[in-house]
Amino acid sequence: MSAAAPARRSFRAADLLSWWPAWLLFALVLCALFAPWLAPMDPDRQNLLARLKAPGFEARGAVYHLGSDELGRDVLSRLIYGARISLSVAVLSVLLSGVVGVTVGMAAGYLRGWTETVLMRLVDIFLSIPAILLAIITVAVLGPGFVNVILVLALTRWPRYARVAYGQTLAIAERPFVRLSRAMGASPARVIAVHILPNIVGPLLVVATLEFGLMVLFEAGLSFLGLGVQPPTASWGSMLSTGRNYLATAWWIATFPGLALFLLVLSANMIGDRLSDRIGKG
Amino acid sequence: MTLLSVSDLTIEAGPPGDRLRLVDGVSLSVKAGETVALVGESGSGKSLTALSILGLLGEGLTPTAGRILFDGRDLATLAPEELRRLRGADLAMIFQEPVSSLNPLVTVGDQVAESLIVHGRASGAEARERAVEMLKRVGIPEPARRARQLPTELSGGMCQRVMIAAALISRPRLLIADEPTTALDVTIQAQILDLLAELGAEAGTAILLITHDMGVVAETADRVCVMYGGRVVEEAAAVPLFAAPRHPYTGMLLRTIPRLDQPPKRALYSIAGNVPSPRDWPEGCRFRTRCTRADAACTALPPLDAAGEGDRRAACFHPLEGPQ
Ligand SMILES: Nc1ncnc2c1ncn2[C@@H]1O[C@H](COP(=O)(O)OP(=O)(O)OP(=O)(O)O)[C@@H](O)[C@H]1O
Ligand code: SF4
Ligand SMILES: [Mg+2]
Repeated sequence: MSAAAPARRSFRAADLLSWWPAWLLFALVLCALFAPWLAPMDPDRQNLLARLKAPGFEARGAVYHLGSDELGRDVLSRLIYGARISLSVAVLSVLLSGVVGVTVGMAAGYLRGWTETVLMRLVDIFLSIPAILLAIITVAVLGPGFVNVILVLALTRWPRYARVAYGQTLAIAERPFVRLSRAMGASPARVIAVHILPNIVGPLLVVATLEFGLMVLFEAGLSFLGLGVQPPTASWGSMLSTGRNYLATAWWIATFPGLALFLLVLSANMIGDRLSDRIGKG
Repeated sequence: MTLLSVSDLTIEAGPPGDRLRLVDGVSLSVKAGETVALVGESGSGKSLTALSILGLLGEGLTPTAGRILFDGRDLATLAPEELRRLRGADLAMIFQEPVSSLNPLVTVGDQVAESLIVHGRASGAEARERAVEMLKRVGIPEPARRARQLPTELSGGMCQRVMIAAALISRPRLLIADEPTTALDVTIQAQILDLLAELGAEAGTAILLITHDMGVVAETADRVCVMYGGRVVEEAAAVPLFAAPRHPYTGMLLRTIPRLDQPPKRALYSIAGNVPSPRDWPEGCRFRTRCTRADAACTALPPLDAAGEGDRRAACFHPLEGPQ
């Protein structure tokens, strides 16, 4: 027992380390939640005397740890506040597209008949349009902004969930316990919600995690194009976009949000892959 | 009083144009409180008949003819909502595979309580309490603990009991039990059958018992319907049927019952040949390919009352006479 203890402890430490994507995601969530306390400065406060200063620059007692941008705003503070936009857009659009897509997919897979035909043709049509193109076009029509970005992302991405929910529902609906619950007099809504949904949560979770990473990228892409959250609100995508103009003189403006995006998307995808290994198919 | 009456039920599979008839003109009836056995070898259409009574035929299967009256109401004319109100309340079913028929992610107690909750007959807490009571009634030890477990933690025999508890908790007027004991060993089989009979008698529940085991039939049934190749070939009260089967197929089935008063050689008797698959059913009498009495007349389809007398009927041109 005592001989085995150290081996077990080191195994546990390695285990915790191997979950770094989850820790990183957790840390980013904390950043987003506690941004007002964590950010050293007001992310929108401009200081024309401190424009384009390199990381570590100090002015009137304030340190710009990651440098300042073209309006003299603190890059670190904007980065921390930007996490709020990235994460909340991603979470809300995943939730919205997930709810819509899963409902559509399960209804099609369980009710079959013309419901199935109509809904799944619609899914096919949506899936045949390049997602980012559809997002850009609709946001251009609806106009930019936080809520519209979420709506547009949900509109673009629900078919993915519908596909998975549909296939999974078809498979589960064949199982004898679904017939039993129908024989008990359960309504279609109850069969779907109580007996089928819990049995397909795993694969849906995998899709949601992978989609989460994609939503972060889409939001950044839209903001980069000026179609996302509007200035002066800090968003990693818009920071990248302005930073692009100063790459030669002030590399830090674009580099740090780029790095943050990279790490966030990477960890979401790694978590998704890990989940799908555990759960089976995705 | 007739509780269930099925007449001329025909069930077909496949797309229009290339239809395969799996159940062909089946008629049977169950009176209130009685136990009717539906017997026949594997593939004779027993489960399909049962499923169509509940309106639960799978994808690709259609009832193309016939009428099903439950308590005088034509089930085909009911709205889906009305049919749902019957299912699990007045009309319950136990399925052939107990283990896979339970949802692996829902606790045993909740599944037993399902019909009470679905039909709004009891609130959550009360339903759960009654489920525990019911689990106790079907002989599950430590019912309160078991109720909180998932089906995967239970043995096959226990799952079978759970299914029975779930079906009987709402005191249905008709219980359709599809091979409720096939997966179990002989001792548990007997227990389950006793339990069904006891609980059924207590609630006045009529039982349509589906089985291919003539021994089970002998122990439990008031009346017997014998199916072969998607048709009913003989129907009679249990006692006269066992005393003197008329259809040669019934005679064959009876010889499969192990008998204590006979040397074991007879107990090992099994039916020669197999039920042909629905694609290969012969013209005329479907039993023709295996019947020792078959002759030229049998190339015509014998009607069910070809050999009838009193309230028994058999679909045979050359029925057996006297005890076999
Ligand atoms: N969906 C389907 N499509 C085509 N054929 C089917 C379908 N379902 C069942 N069958 C066929 O219908 C016939 C009758 O099936 P059924 O399940 O009613 O038999 P059973 O009498 O209950 O047999 P068992 O004792 O094996 O349960 C079988 O030959 C079966 O292969
Ligand atoms: S009708 Fe002919 S073939 Fe059919 S069971 Fe009777 S004797 Fe046999
Ligand atoms: Mg069967």
